[in-house]
Amino acid sequence: MDQKKVLIVDDEIHIVHVVAIKLRNNGYEVISANNGAEAYELACSMMPDIIVTDFQMPVMTGMELVEKLRENEQTKAIPVIMLTARSFAISKEQQEQLRISDCLSKPFSPRELLVNIEDILYQNELVAETK
Amino acid sequence: MKYSGNIFIAVAIFVICAALFCGSAQAEDYNALESRVSAGILNGSNIIVTALYIAGALGVILTGLHMLRLAGAITSIARLLDNEKDGSADNCELSMLSVKKINELRRDINERLAGRDSLVARYDKQIEELKIQLQISQKRETNIEEIIYSIRDAVIVVDEFDKLLMANGSAGRLLSFDYKNSRFKPVRELISADRSEFLNFLSNARKSRGQAARKEIKFVDDDRPKIFDCIVSYIHDNNQQVCGAVAVLHDITREKEISNMKNDFISHVSHELKTPLASITAYSEMLADDEAHDEETRKEFYAVIQNQAQRLNRLIEDILNTSRIESGLIKINKEYVSLAILIEEQLKMIKGYADEKSIEIIGQRPIVFDQVYVDRDMMSQVIVNLLSNAVKYTRPGGSVKIKTEIDDAESMIRVLITDTGVGIPEDEIEHVFDKYYRVETNKKQAQGTGLGLNLVKQIVEKVHNGRVFVKSRVGTGSTFGFELPLAVKNTAATA
Repeated sequence: MDQKKVLIVDDEIHIVHVVAIKLRNNGYEVISANNGAEAYELACSMMPDIIVTDFQMPVMTGMELVEKLRENEQTKAIPVIMLTARSFAISKEQQEQLRISDCLSKPFSPRELLVNIEDILYQNELVAETK
Repeated sequence: MKYSGNIFIAVAIFVICAALFCGSAQAEDYNALESRVSAGILNGSNIIVTALYIAGALGVILTGLHMLRLAGAITSIARLLDNEKDGSADNCELSMLSVKKINELRRDINERLAGRDSLVARYDKQIEELKIQLQISQKRETNIEEIIYSIRDAVIVVDEFDKLLMANGSAGRLLSFDYKNSRFKPVRELISADRSEFLNFLSNARKSRGQAARKEIKFVDDDRPKIFDCIVSYIHDNNQQVCGAVAVLHDITREKEISNMKNDFISHVSHELKTPLASITAYSEMLADDEAHDEETRKEFYAVIQNQAQRLNRLIEDILNTSRIESGLIKINKEYVSLAILIEEQLKMIKGYADEKSIEIIGQRPIVFDQVYVDRDMMSQVIVNLLSNAVKYTRPGGSVKIKTEIDDAESMIRVLITDTGVGIPEDEIEHVFDKYYRVETNKKQAQGTGLGLNLVKQIVEKVHNGRVFVKSRVGTGSTFGFELPLAVKNTAATA
């Protein structure tokens, strides 16, 4: 099985650090960014299999990042998991419209995040196989 | 006299006419009788004829006397009336019947006169009462107008046809019309079309049939939106019909701003509290799941948990202390401490955060004689808030410098914290110490509650009689600082 690449985006260095350790320990390759703008550049150049991003960040927010990713033909299909400290920040409509795979509220469990990442990547693989 | 003379002449004419009439009638009867006798109808009845003549003559005489008596009585009444007018009535000249009649007339006249007098008195009293009521009413109207004119809220009173009855200066300024010279004009002609939302509300609210209506209406003047709480109440007449309306427009722009700031604050606090909590939860779970594979990683995890717990505590302290200081419930424990030592302690606290962002912290050699009489915990909070703010708004690779100065002339110590951060726009500098306020252009730079600087100001100025200040330039950085009275001079002064 190919090593899957995960892009983690958060302005909180500790969150990036802890998620990166969890994912590396479970066989993932991890790249990281501190805001949406940096993440978009990395997504275009590194083409991660999945992106885990914080909702509220300086320079470019998580929502702005997803909007940009969806506008780009190259990155529009990358699944995104959103982490947010504000429970009602994203409506169901927004989530569907921007094709956000999952939203996790902070404080979150790295264990739960890992399970969600695995599920989403598995679903994507199934879809790719049927095509 | 003229009156009685006229009566007398009238009576005399009447008597003469009556006498002539009776005389001619009796003469006519006599002639008819004579003709009948001569015709042989009453032949040989001389006695009866003579008696008839005598009776005719007596009739004329009696009639004349009766008329004369009647005329005399009437003349007496006339004279009596004349005399009565002169105050010398002589009732003896009148018959009992006439006297009774006259008395009745007099009583009636007197009663009418008395009635008229009491009526006049009553009318006079009513006029006086009406005058007083009019004065009271005018005074009341003047008072009402003065009260309405003095109200800061815009007040407009209209009749049932939406014609202006009263308005104050605030209403005139807000709705752009000459409120003093617009009485009884339709409000639609007075108020410009760009205030149509208010006009529509006023007329639509009327359809609610006398129930008070309320709406928030936005007015835009010089590109500055202002929000007004508009309440329309209805004036009812005695039949409970709506005969007018009173509209009061209260400016709630500031309240709205505060409300929005509070909502932002709750949202920011939630984020600020959850962020360190997220780290604590995640790292402790990682430790529990044995995801830290070596001792060094485990120590690193413990340190993160400890730092994030402290961060959480600072935030909770900020929130609680702001509330405590405002309510005056905070317990203040002042003691003599060295500000240099407090600064050193807080520099250690902030170092981890600065290292995360690759920001250099530059201290200076501590000043020895810098004793201040302060609450140690509160002053530590002031220093750490200013330091963490400086780090927060400085980009990686920048620096934060802290220094202290002694002002001997003023017996003050000054602390200055200078960063190479994003800076603050000039028009926002005056608000940076306001509660919940966050610099609009820097919101994207970092999260915050808008409480930290407000708390610094409250602790320095309200609790310690000091002063806070700020200088800033966008793109270059900011210097935040505070001054406190030196404890040594204070003690000397009080001794």
